[in-house]
Amino acid sequence: MTRRVLLGTGAAVVVAGGALAAGRLTGRLDDAADAVGLDPKPLPDPADTTIIGRAAFAMAGVLAAVEATAAAHADLALAGFEAIGREHLEALGGTTASTDVAAPPTDRVEAVKVLEAVYGEAVKGRADDAADAFSADLVQVLASMSAGLAQCLRAIRSLR
Amino acid sequence: MTITQALQAWLALEHEAVWLYPVLGARRDDLVDRATASFEAHRDTRDALVTRLRALDVVPVTAALAYTVGPLSTTADARTAAQSLESRIAAACLALVGLAEDALRRYAVSNLTKAAVAEQTWGAEPRAFPGLP
Repeated sequence: MTRRVLLGTGAAVVVAGGALAAGRLTGRLDDAADAVGLDPKPLPDPADTTIIGRAAFAMAGVLAAVEATAAAHADLALAGFEAIGREHLEALGGTTASTDVAAPPTDRVEAVKVLEAVYGEAVKGRADDAADAFSADLVQVLASMSAGLAQCLRAIRSLR
Repeated sequence: MTITQALQAWLALEHEAVWLYPVLGARRDDLVDRATASFEAHRDTRDALVTRLRALDVVPVTAALAYTVGPLSTTADARTAAQSLESRIAAACLALVGLAEDALRRYAVSNLTKAAVAEQTWGAEPRAFPGLP
């Protein structure tokens, strides 16, 4: 599966095989079935597909926020958080949705506070998604993602 | 792996933490406050896991007499040992996350996050997926 990540100022648009990624995460795309040409292929749990789409959209928003802040405040050194955001989005198969974010505050400390709020919401959101998901693989990815976001949140707090 | 096995694996690491942090604090004056806080947190988690396992009519694993944690002769060594342990605890919690449902799953997710942040307080950089290989 190939992925193209298109990043713009204040917006993140990711074009990817979201359905395929969803299938991989939910463990329902059976390589063995593929190998012998079985058709139709098992489908992901519908609820999990919804969770993946919601999480991908939310994580695109996080990435857009951190990119916008990085562009406005180069001294904050947010490249590491941008890289993590891209990893998160890729794991979810990306999203075709366009995510617009408000311009970050011009004041550095206020901009960091806005990012803290964005990450805090994402930590809780992915933990809630992990609680709701069906596939064990997806549950683990979302829970781990939430933990990684909590690390990011702590690191961002230190930037004030 | 069963839920009980995952809880036991996690408890074994909590025993190690309850052993490690006093040793670490005793050897490194500059880390004693952080080591004390870590000890107290892991002692509470250990006790909670013991209670959970007993409630399942399972005999909890016991602590070893000592653990191999590498040299603790420098602050960097001590931080590395703590990071390694917290990283392994995160992985153990994540294993349980994949097996558990409802309240136990949320408990495991919460403790996964605690371990990931603890790893960071000992000097680790943020990662995209703590607990995953």
